[in-house]
Amino acid sequence: MTQIAIVGTGQTVHSRRRLDVSQAGLAREAVTEALLDAGLGMDDIDAVVVASGPAMFGSVNQPEKWLVDALGARYKPVVRVTSGGGTGLAGALQAMNQIKAGLARRVLVVAYDKLSEGALQASISTLYDPFWGREFAVGIMGFSAAYWRARMDKLGHTEEAAAMVSVKNRKNAMLNPKAHVKKEVTVEEVLASKPLCWPIKLLDVPPISDGACAVILAAEDDAAAITDRPAWIRGMAYYSEADNGPNRSMLQSVPLKVAAARVYQNAGVTNPRRQFDVAELQEPYTCFELSYYEGLGLCPEGGAAELIASGATEMSGDIPVNPSGGCMGANPIGATALIRLAEAAMQVTGKAGAHQIGGAELALVQAGGGWANLRGVAVVGATKD
Amino acid sequence: MTTTAGLPREVMGAMDARLSMPYTLTAGAATGVFLAELAQQRIVGTRCSACETIRVPAQDFCGDCGGDAHDLVIVPPSGDLLAWTVTDQGTVALVLLDGTDIPFLHQVVEGDPAALSMGARVTAVWAAEPQGAVMDLMGFALAPSEPVHAVEEAGETATPIEQLNYQMVLDYQHAYGHFYGSLFDGIKNDRRIRGVRCPSCRNVLVPPRAYCEACFVRTGDWVDVPDTGVLQACSVVHIEFIGQRVPPPYVYAEIVLDGTSTRLIHTVGGLSAEALRSGSVHPGSRVQAVWSDRRTGSLSDIDFFKVIDGPADE
Amino acid sequence: MGTDMKNRAAVVGSAQTEFRGAWSDRQHVDLITQAVSQALLGTGLRMADVDFVIDSGSDFLDGRSISNCGFLGAMGAHHKEESRVEEDGLWSAVYATTKILAGSGSVGLVVAYSKSSESDPRNFWSTLAEPFTQRPVGLDQHSAAGLYAQRYLARYGIDPEALRAVSDRAWAAASDNSWVDAKHAMLADPYWEEFVATPLRRRDMARPVDGAVALVVAAEHVARQVTNRPVWITGMGSAIDQHFLAARDATSFPAAAAAAANAFRMSGASSARDFDVVEVSAGSTVGELMVLEAIGLAEPGRAMDLYAPGSAPGLNASGGSLPADVVMATGLVRLHEVASQLGGRSAHGPTGATTGLAHGAGGIGMQNHCVVTLETS
Repeated sequence: MTQIAIVGTGQTVHSRRRLDVSQAGLAREAVTEALLDAGLGMDDIDAVVVASGPAMFGSVNQPEKWLVDALGARYKPVVRVTSGGGTGLAGALQAMNQIKAGLARRVLVVAYDKLSEGALQASISTLYDPFWGREFAVGIMGFSAAYWRARMDKLGHTEEAAAMVSVKNRKNAMLNPKAHVKKEVTVEEVLASKPLCWPIKLLDVPPISDGACAVILAAEDDAAAITDRPAWIRGMAYYSEADNGPNRSMLQSVPLKVAAARVYQNAGVTNPRRQFDVAELQEPYTCFELSYYEGLGLCPEGGAAELIASGATEMSGDIPVNPSGGCMGANPIGATALIRLAEAAMQVTGKAGAHQIGGAELALVQAGGGWANLRGVAVVGATKD
Repeated sequence: MTTTAGLPREVMGAMDARLSMPYTLTAGAATGVFLAELAQQRIVGTRCSACETIRVPAQDFCGDCGGDAHDLVIVPPSGDLLAWTVTDQGTVALVLLDGTDIPFLHQVVEGDPAALSMGARVTAVWAAEPQGAVMDLMGFALAPSEPVHAVEEAGETATPIEQLNYQMVLDYQHAYGHFYGSLFDGIKNDRRIRGVRCPSCRNVLVPPRAYCEACFVRTGDWVDVPDTGVLQACSVVHIEFIGQRVPPPYVYAEIVLDGTSTRLIHTVGGLSAEALRSGSVHPGSRVQAVWSDRRTGSLSDIDFFKVIDGPADE
Repeated sequence: MGTDMKNRAAVVGSAQTEFRGAWSDRQHVDLITQAVSQALLGTGLRMADVDFVIDSGSDFLDGRSISNCGFLGAMGAHHKEESRVEEDGLWSAVYATTKILAGSGSVGLVVAYSKSSESDPRNFWSTLAEPFTQRPVGLDQHSAAGLYAQRYLARYGIDPEALRAVSDRAWAAASDNSWVDAKHAMLADPYWEEFVATPLRRRDMARPVDGAVALVVAAEHVARQVTNRPVWITGMGSAIDQHFLAARDATSFPAAAAAAANAFRMSGASSARDFDVVEVSAGSTVGELMVLEAIGLAEPGRAMDLYAPGSAPGLNASGGSLPADVVMATGLVRLHEVASQLGGRSAHGPTGATTGLAHGAGGIGMQNHCVVTLETS
């Protein structure tokens, strides 16, 4: 089976509000940078996958129809995949399958959100069944906070542990030229920050960002011709879970575990903590990063607080998580998952600049969305196997 | 729990829901100039740097070739009517403005649509009081003797309009269907909560549904469910946001009613300010519905859930 | 584009709900589960055999964001790989087939649905338009169709009244299709004679309906086990035109032609004339004519000839999308129709058909096109 590599990545400089470009223009910036990185033009691209957050965020329905002009994609196959916060990874998976099937050799994936355009929490609250709880929702912040609280009791995911995630990721973002928020904080400041949906406090929450990301995938032989530093995709999967099915496990995510098991098997990963050199995890709130440590097998169940406290996930640790700063550095929701994948590719190809983890060869990517019920995992390596 | 027949006594039709959300949309540089210049009664287009196509409204990029379309030009407000269609939103038209390559989509205003003909000369009709939007150009009207004018380079242009305020209002009539209809009919008239049992995994599902998600089998018997349960998870909402229906602070609650296996989303109320501040309500607490005087056939018929005594669920 | 498929994929089952102007006593999930359970029925496959689900629906039509999230259980996607393709369902079928060809799974379930009766579908269409200069001037599916129609009819000297042949044939065919609530006699109501976007009347426009459709795609080794008449997917292609309607070709759909060309290259066909059964989607009568010309079933300006009595028996035998447009599912319905006819599971269509083509479209003025070709032996 054809192996697939990332041969180019691009990102906008993420920010609170870009007044100078439209949603389409924002996506174009990331695409231009990715094409430049790969040394390709749009004529070299066989197909485009657009991944963006829920269309109601930006008031434009099926926005890929508008983006076509900005992408220079007229008469090409253009399809949009949408899957909430994990949509970028779901889009990359679509692109991978096109190449594996032999239907395309080079596929451009572009993901973006221009969150400054809409009323975010109101938009996210529309996730709820109109009959079942929408009136009490606060986006998914209330929901996320509620299950953090439950994990606090059962798994020891304390407010202090989550605060350390905020401290670590915001510190890492200082080194990332694309990051939106560059301000270091202390554990005390996080704990003392304003409660939004307790236990979630202001500094547990990522910024609301405008930003875009683009990634170009290519087939094995082609990838080697395009670049001398391809980032090989060693596995990728994206699983779902019914949002209100019987006895849904809310403390540990089943779709995350299923996706990780499948991807680890494909990638030959048996000891994730030891084998991965770096991880990029999508943490829409600090509490999720703790939960993912466990779901991805970086530590045992109930071991997340100890892992963050040990410093192992810091830049200097043995399993650095989110050297880019993660969502705490920038959170254009629809682009966030693809940014994780792009950052992982940059790490294993030595292109991450100031936030490079020295000698990184194998990177873990996680992203997801919806009601914490859409979960994707990918592994990216410097070598094919 | 007792098993009962599941037919609603009255047909629950549809629930009205409105999504009304404000947006602050950004048009991009070229379209921003186009919108701004309309106030000066000037129409700005762009010439593609790659294929030299001139199009209106001005665009940052060329849809034909994908090139940058940065050269702004002033396009005459006159042209040929290529096509029109009379709709309940007006006469939508394509006008090829003099000197351009791509028609301009706008409207024909004034006059009887029956008088229009393909190729007819038209000229711009301007709004008396510009609002900073595309309708500052109200549209085009027949102008048989209007001579052909030339495109000019733009030179100095107005500061682009960066932001367009927009309110999107979407109305829905969501069908209750048999399962939600039966549930909310029971809630409204009998203060009864009913679920269905999966014949395969034996779990009780609330809200009721035709198929069990885990087993993908058709659900079986209807089951009466008590209005008591366990708080599976909770958080304290402090922030305000657009569309919120409960004033903060309040407790967002996910409740598993006794005997069921699913999440009911509501609030926990009757708490002191101190209890809210300290977050003393906790997962595992026993809760019971406090029914409202309202009978709306929705979850609002429960005012909130109150914490009651009893063995906490572990 | 690689044409040497190592794997083959086949449609092994498909089903639809009845399409109705309004399914006012059913929820989305009810329609979805009905289509999904029926699609599996007869294949011998159980939900546990399904490896992944790809689905199409619209947040704007459903009135909820990431609406697939709420319908995952109804689609049978619980603890499976799932993706929402927010295009017409034919694009979901292409993705599902792509996954099979890629070896990423053996059995895929494709689901598409719409309940446009729960909102004003005009909002769905107008929100597709760029919001600064296109949406405010009244661009929607009606005005876009009217602008194409006027130019098409003028260029080829066709009387707008001649379009009655197109809508009459579609509605007459739908009258014989027990899965659609449209009856030809309904067109006698003056409502359908109203001009909605001159020169087009309401009878020229696709009529939004409620419904769901589901389709099971399987890899060759599974297909041969579960059916003695697998319907092989032999070609797929899609292409999109630019967003600004004014900048597109006035009287043809080059994106539809490009989509068809890609599908034909893969399947080895030379034009749509090579297929026994053809089901196309269209937002309007003139849109349907332009699609037929783009895929090569008629020369430019000559598609009206296909509506002469007795011609093109394999064309839109279901009635097509004019009497029943399940907005996000219409293209997948076309695929379901073709697969059912080739697989001997349909009550309509020509007998003895072995090859077929399904077409789907999306966007204002049919900006985006998709073509899938099928064959049974």
